[in-house]
Amino acid sequence: MRVEFQDIHKYYGWVRANVGINLVLEPGRIYGLLGENGAGKSTLMRMLAGHTQPSKGCILFDGEVADGLNPSRALNMGVGMLYQDPLDFPALNIFENFLLGGRKQAKKQTLHRLRELGERFHFSLPPGEKVSELTVGERQQLELLRLLDLGVKVLVLDEPTTGISITQKEMLFATMRQLAKDRGRTIVFVTHKLAEVEELCEEVIVLRRGKLVAKLQSPFQSDELIKLMFGSEHEGIGKTQLRPELGKEKFLQLQNVQLLGDKYTLRDISLQIRPGEILGLAGLEGNGQELLLRGLAGLARVGKGRLIFDGEEFQGRPYLKFRQAGIHFLPAARLEHGLFPDLSLVEHFRLAFPERNGDHGQLLPEEGIKKFSIQAQLSTSARALSGGNQQRLLLALIPTQTRLLLLEHPTRGLDHGAGQQVWSHLLDRCRRDAALIFSSADLDEIKAHSHRVLVFYNRQIIADRPVHSLGVEEMGRLMAGQGRAV
Amino acid sequence: MDYLALTLAGILSAGAPLVLATLGETLTERAGVINLSLDGTILLSAMTAFAVAFLSNNPWLGLLASVAVGIATASIVALMGPVLGKSQLAVGFILTLFCRDLAYFLGHPFARQLGPELPVWTIPGIRELPFIGQVLGHHSPVVYLSLILTVYLWWWLFSTRSGLDVRAVGEEPWAAFARGIKVQRLRIVYTLMGGALVGLAGGAFSLAVKPGWGRPQGAEGAGWIALAIVIFGGWHPLRAALGAYLFATLQVLGIHLQEQLPGLPAPLFQVAPFPVMILTLLLVNVGKASWFQDLTFRYPGLKRWLSRWQVTAPAALGTDFRPEKET
Repeated sequence: MRVEFQDIHKYYGWVRANVGINLVLEPGRIYGLLGENGAGKSTLMRMLAGHTQPSKGCILFDGEVADGLNPSRALNMGVGMLYQDPLDFPALNIFENFLLGGRKQAKKQTLHRLRELGERFHFSLPPGEKVSELTVGERQQLELLRLLDLGVKVLVLDEPTTGISITQKEMLFATMRQLAKDRGRTIVFVTHKLAEVEELCEEVIVLRRGKLVAKLQSPFQSDELIKLMFGSEHEGIGKTQLRPELGKEKFLQLQNVQLLGDKYTLRDISLQIRPGEILGLAGLEGNGQELLLRGLAGLARVGKGRLIFDGEEFQGRPYLKFRQAGIHFLPAARLEHGLFPDLSLVEHFRLAFPERNGDHGQLLPEEGIKKFSIQAQLSTSARALSGGNQQRLLLALIPTQTRLLLLEHPTRGLDHGAGQQVWSHLLDRCRRDAALIFSSADLDEIKAHSHRVLVFYNRQIIADRPVHSLGVEEMGRLMAGQGRAV
Repeated sequence: MDYLALTLAGILSAGAPLVLATLGETLTERAGVINLSLDGTILLSAMTAFAVAFLSNNPWLGLLASVAVGIATASIVALMGPVLGKSQLAVGFILTLFCRDLAYFLGHPFARQLGPELPVWTIPGIRELPFIGQVLGHHSPVVYLSLILTVYLWWWLFSTRSGLDVRAVGEEPWAAFARGIKVQRLRIVYTLMGGALVGLAGGAFSLAVKPGWGRPQGAEGAGWIALAIVIFGGWHPLRAALGAYLFATLQVLGIHLQEQLPGLPAPLFQVAPFPVMILTLLLVNVGKASWFQDLTFRYPGLKRWLSRWQVTAPAALGTDFRPEKET
């Protein structure tokens, strides 16, 4: 199906998310939709999927104007979208999720379709399992199978490679190529990762600040794409930042610790960390990094073993004690678990620094906003911030006396520039003797910033190595269970 | 034996209106809407049912009228909640008070009158069976309706496509919307359907279980209990019905015990069911306590058994959904 955007505008209040976009998508091609956070990629695609309507302009399917598009009509026309945050039903099981919104057919037939599709892509999705038990990657897989089952003609994938392994990613890409070539499907691949666009896409559409700035054919030049995405003023990309020096004493020790999570248990973990040290946790989602971070933050229960911080035993102590000792955790769900969505920036600062409430008034929040270049007003609510600004706010709220920083996906969903900024703040902290433990799906990020890497597989730590002795490829193999344990 | 059978029959009968009301509210809440007006709705529909039956001398017309009242109050909740996006809780509270006073006011001429009642059906083939016949064979039609509806709603909610759609809408309206399910329409429809069942509960009171109208009628408080039982029952029709029967059992037991133990003050037996219900709620939710999770860690079998009893509310319960105002 041929899709045409004609002079599409979308406004949210004063924010211009899309401005005058004209674009044609031909069948059988794979398009990359590239742009930094807030460039308007998702908004444009959500209009195509009928999730929201353009303020001005229209979308044409095979030359016919589709007015008042809603998700059900878009699906009928053959447009399916895989949303960045899985839009599914955690409380229901896999089979029910697969069924919802689909064709009416017998249960046996649906089960058969689910199994058949799962086998074709080597996804393991037992129909009776609750979706809340799945990782984000598995939930995406389920959504993908569902959309393919509906026989969509235009498939939009919004950042689909966030939670899946390298092998699964290659499989996904192979599927996309096959769908485009053999079945004449149009595929739009929304991302801010250049490497993926270069690998998969035949054509790339670059958005910047809501405007379409370029439409290029493969092969692409990375430098040119970066310039188009960020504008020419964006310098210093790819500049490596120096790692901080390590302190002498071991200020965090884990001795044969057993951590009890909601879904699984991590057994027999032993670790030592020095001040200034940066520890990267590599592993597919759900393999134990989440639990280790939460255990260190005082949010998971220690079953056995000793957790020693600054010479004091911390196992069994309440979360508040961990915080008072200078341990700070930034979860991946920034808005939901890290911030108060409906409170303003000022209120966040007041809550984070109660000791400085005195007569400082708005000085502290103003300083924070300036120092961390948060693009918002003092009265803006956290909900209205972009992903990058949410992360900047969280960084600004880290107490000064923090000794151990625990971060989950510190730059997930952030563009390159914002990511660099986050890291320069974090490294600054480490130079002042804080230690940092972070997990990331981006192995290059782990390689670039860690002193040491822990690799998780099958809910175990299968490698604990200095970063210089572990390449990205080997990390990937270990994560996928294809390497020898060390 | 006879005594036990009669007691069980009494429980089925006394529990019927409560079961109908809990089923109705379970249905509404599964779609993500809270109809808090139960207590008032039940009284108003009980009064209307009796008045219509009295005037027309036809209890079936009365029952029909009770359903209409249930739908009418639910439509106000649906209008203010899903349609206009106002607080469902506030409108429910106000409706409770309004309907109750309206019932007493309009029902005044019918108080303490002798009116028609629903017939008692004898089911041939079952009535002749020993014991079971005595428990199940001879009841008002509302009792049979409550039993059939319990099983039907359970099947419908968990085994049919439309039941799945309702659960989806109550869990994640945005995801449902993205899949082309008509969220608003379903929420409105099932608010009205739930209201119809709540209205039926009122009719069941004044035409069968506690026949007649007066101030008090005897149905007072039933709506609040039903709201609690919906939570207690984990938004599951079978468990909700079980909860309603448990409450009825406690009430019937109270009456029997009062006869056995004349030394104890009578109000004790009237209030005893309430703390017992709270204790049961605690027991059902014991799985969330940390000491219990330690226990389940040691005995994994316990966890599997318990997970079936875990109670979680529909994730979008009581929330507003309007696609045109999305962020």
